[in-house]
Amino acid sequence: MSPFLRTIFVIARRDFLSIVATPTFLLFLLAPLFMIGVGAIGGAGASQLADSARGAGRIVALVDTGDIEALRAADSRLRDALPRREKPVTLEIRVATPAADPLAIAREKGSDTYAVLSGPLAAPRIVEQEKGSSSGRYLALLAGEVLRDRAAGPLPPVAPRFESIANQGASIAVQQSMGFGAVFAIFLLTLLLAGQAVGMLAEEKGNKVIEILAAAVPLESVFLGKLLGLLGVAILFIAFWTAMAIGGGLVAATQIDPGAIAATGAAGKSAAALVSAPATGWPFFIGIGFAYFVMAFLLLGAVFLGVGAQAGTVREIQMLSLPITIFQVAMFSLSAAASSAPGSRLATIAQIFPFSSPLAMAARAATDGNHAIHLLALGWQAIWVALVVYLSVRLFRAGVLSGGGSWKFWRRAKVVTSAATPAGVVSSQSH
Amino acid sequence: MTALTVEAQGLTKYFGNFKAVDNVSLEVPTGSIYGVLGPNGAGKTTSLRMTLGIIDPDAGSSRLFGGQRPQSVRHRIGYLPEERGLYPGMKAREAIAFMGALRGLDWSEGRRRAETFMTELGLERVIDEKIRKMSKGMAQMIQLIGSIVHAPDLIVLDEPFSGLDPVNQERLEMLVRRERDRGATILFSTHVMAHAERLCDRLAIIARSQRRFEGTVDEARAMLPMQVRYTPRGAPDPAVIAAMLPPGAEPRGDAWQFPIADAGVEPLLARITASGHGVAGLSIVRPGLHDAFVHIVRQVDAGFEADARVDALEEAAL
Repeated sequence: MSPFLRTIFVIARRDFLSIVATPTFLLFLLAPLFMIGVGAIGGAGASQLADSARGAGRIVALVDTGDIEALRAADSRLRDALPRREKPVTLEIRVATPAADPLAIAREKGSDTYAVLSGPLAAPRIVEQEKGSSSGRYLALLAGEVLRDRAAGPLPPVAPRFESIANQGASIAVQQSMGFGAVFAIFLLTLLLAGQAVGMLAEEKGNKVIEILAAAVPLESVFLGKLLGLLGVAILFIAFWTAMAIGGGLVAATQIDPGAIAATGAAGKSAAALVSAPATGWPFFIGIGFAYFVMAFLLLGAVFLGVGAQAGTVREIQMLSLPITIFQVAMFSLSAAASSAPGSRLATIAQIFPFSSPLAMAARAATDGNHAIHLLALGWQAIWVALVVYLSVRLFRAGVLSGGGSWKFWRRAKVVTSAATPAGVVSSQSH
Repeated sequence: MTALTVEAQGLTKYFGNFKAVDNVSLEVPTGSIYGVLGPNGAGKTTSLRMTLGIIDPDAGSSRLFGGQRPQSVRHRIGYLPEERGLYPGMKAREAIAFMGALRGLDWSEGRRRAETFMTELGLERVIDEKIRKMSKGMAQMIQLIGSIVHAPDLIVLDEPFSGLDPVNQERLEMLVRRERDRGATILFSTHVMAHAERLCDRLAIIARSQRRFEGTVDEARAMLPMQVRYTPRGAPDPAVIAAMLPPGAEPRGDAWQFPIADAGVEPLLARITASGHGVAGLSIVRPGLHDAFVHIVRQVDAGFEADARVDALEEAAL
């Protein structure tokens, strides 16, 4: 190993251990548990609300006894063809009696009645809650179906043959949403720790270790080592939660009867998503996604580290956290927009601009099957990491290390100009 | 001529419009102990930092070990900065091994040497203590060990004695001599003359950003005339004694005190013997480094005040 790499690892090791070997890290590691808990409680509450609301709604048909069977058959036939979310609310069929008043039924307590059908099927009276509601239209459609069945007589049953094309090509929409998912995941993981880079050199400046480091090793390796240490923490975090997720999945799989999974529609849906793989294939997509995560982390981390290194006090570092978050969100928005419009000019810009490039390129891996382009992108981003670190180090050397008290470059400039002015005045007077 | 470990030529550094270091050169012979002396704020630390390449000089250059750039020979240098600093959460042994590892020493070897050094310096109690639990002086000794744990060829110590109790100062002097005997070259700065006088083979005095003196301790002391303290026997007439002694002699109680040039010693003794006033007490001593240092710094300061007066006059004239 070259001495440069070795010193990077010495610094990274120190930083990694000093972050991980603290009780606070445990809190950090387990923080997603709180998020999951809160999310689960909120989600359960919300779905319960939705369910109870859905269960409470109904439409009512007041028909003659002879029409009941035909109406029920027509309802189940039509219902089958509609997607789950768009199925009409429960149909309640009642026998029409002279005493039954559709308006009274519509106003009955205990459930929301969206529409009530009464009278003969050929000319039904439909009382609806809202003018022109789909519930009213649905009741009219049912009545028509019943009449049409009756007029046409028994028809031979349709024997459809379904053919699936799911395996032949993934849907573009699914791939785009995978791209967005990758952007979002990388953004979230970067948000976790890259922002912390801004305060990392404050520790060394505070306890004066910076001079030992600066004397002993090139500052570039200090900066890179710190980034690497932080990246190690992030990877530990990801590995921990990936392991938890896989473990949890395995446990869940042993608990649930496979038959039950097949029976539920939800499982069928996620299976469909799995079938439609990203354009580059799952293994490559996950691998390159991780590579882009590392790059995004290093790039943003290098910027934040460099900016933070210029800050003099903890207060200044705290003040910097807002622009930093905005910068991250801006890169996320740009890449998210790019992921929803693959091949557009916006997408190209997002893929070339170095700080959004890892996110946008990860999205591209979902929709574009080209593998070689990613090698180019990773190289391009690596150049920028090196460039940012180089510039940060130059600024740090010129400003913080040399300047003593006046590390702010604009303040130093002012000192120089104020020094220059009196001399100029004197010389102009003496002429 | 002996080989030079440090060759720094014409180092100059501006902080804003203030010239912190002005054309300072340092030539440190290999295997010697070299002191950089100067009052507070004279530019010692900045000179050392430039010598080690931690900051870049605005003019001049620094070459180590025969023409090498300081950045390329980091692993052969040990440096104790003026601003002491260690990671407070680290244990002493780890902190020392960490500093060694930065300079290319193996971690396990660093831990082993840390134990040896700490035991030698009477710090075996705190080997596995965290730095934050230590006293300032202890932490300083840890840092000192950390800066020499990789057995460097050049050891640069910035104000190593400040903050240490006399016992630890003594240990540090021992350590410095031992490192020199091992073959290392030691360059250190201080404003405490006693240490410099005892340790240094050569020294440079920096005052007001410039190097004002370079040479051995004896050469520095030789800049001032020897001081004579003479007590005649009995109670002779002061006027008679004053006439016999060189001009400038002052009575201090029974004794007389006056400076004397090296060549004037024998004639003086002859005169005293011939005068018959007897000798109740006589000492002729070379002033210490302390006096030489104060003398040099005062001269420089006086020059600056004179300059300031001239400046003021010139400004008034404009």
